[in-house]
Amino acid sequence: MTLLSAQAAFYYLAAASIASALLAVTRKNPVHSMLWVLSLFLHVAGIFLLLGAEFLAAVQVIVYAGAILIFYLFVLMLLDLPGEEARPRFGRHWPFAAAAALSLAALAWLAGARTLDLGGPEAAAIAPPELVEGAAAEPPRGSVAEIGAALFGPFALPFEIASLLLLAAIVGAVVLARRKAATP
Amino acid sequence: MIVPLGAVLGLSAVLFGIGVFGFLARRNIILMFVSVEVMLNAVNLSLVGFSWRLDDPRGQVLALFVIAVAAAEAGVGLGLVIALNRNKPGAGIAELTELRW
Repeated sequence: MTLLSAQAAFYYLAAASIASALLAVTRKNPVHSMLWVLSLFLHVAGIFLLLGAEFLAAVQVIVYAGAILIFYLFVLMLLDLPGEEARPRFGRHWPFAAAAALSLAALAWLAGARTLDLGGPEAAAIAPPELVEGAAAEPPRGSVAEIGAALFGPFALPFEIASLLLLAAIVGAVVLARRKAATP
Repeated sequence: MIVPLGAVLGLSAVLFGIGVFGFLARRNIILMFVSVEVMLNAVNLSLVGFSWRLDDPRGQVLALFVIAVAAAEAGVGLGLVIALNRNKPGAGIAELTELRW
């Protein structure tokens, strides 16, 4: 892929992600919101592909879009929310929420754009010089083998803890959602 | 390098802000959870951006852990939603006032 088409693809995916996220948090119908979140996840998966994270792109589509989002849709339809479209979608405090979100996003933007851009003048302090110069020539890494080696090497203990966490979440979800037999 | 890392981080910041707004402003508890998912996805995006820029797979491994925690959060959170819905139908959070004081 040439550089220009890759850049065009990135900026298209970024714009589509932002539009999808905005529509997702503002639509009245919850199912429409879910479908816009699906669009957001697919576009973010495209960005992962562009950034050389093929395995994570696949996980994003399979686990996020395929499992987690379908789970949300399932619960949404199970509850069969009555009159959801008639009620106000935002609370009365939504300007404060918008101000908080704007300031947080501006803070994160500043932090990312100024101090952490490794191509910038501050980069020499936090990145070794060969990373700043030589990263463009090599193809992006991030193959499944590399991630697997990291997962079962230095990250073996966190990996096992994540499996324990998922087990605890399964048991907790069943306990929470179970119908109580006869409560006094 | 196709785009500067700052573009990826800026996109991540914008998506995170949209998620924060959705979480704080929406009145439907399921859509609040979905806004949390949007925030987690924004964080994943910046982790993948760092991994790509620093040429290091550890960022992607961390993003994988974030996805695992998001799955656990969805399971427990939606279990709570179902339990709440049994006591008080509807998913609006304005009616859930018993724990306020």
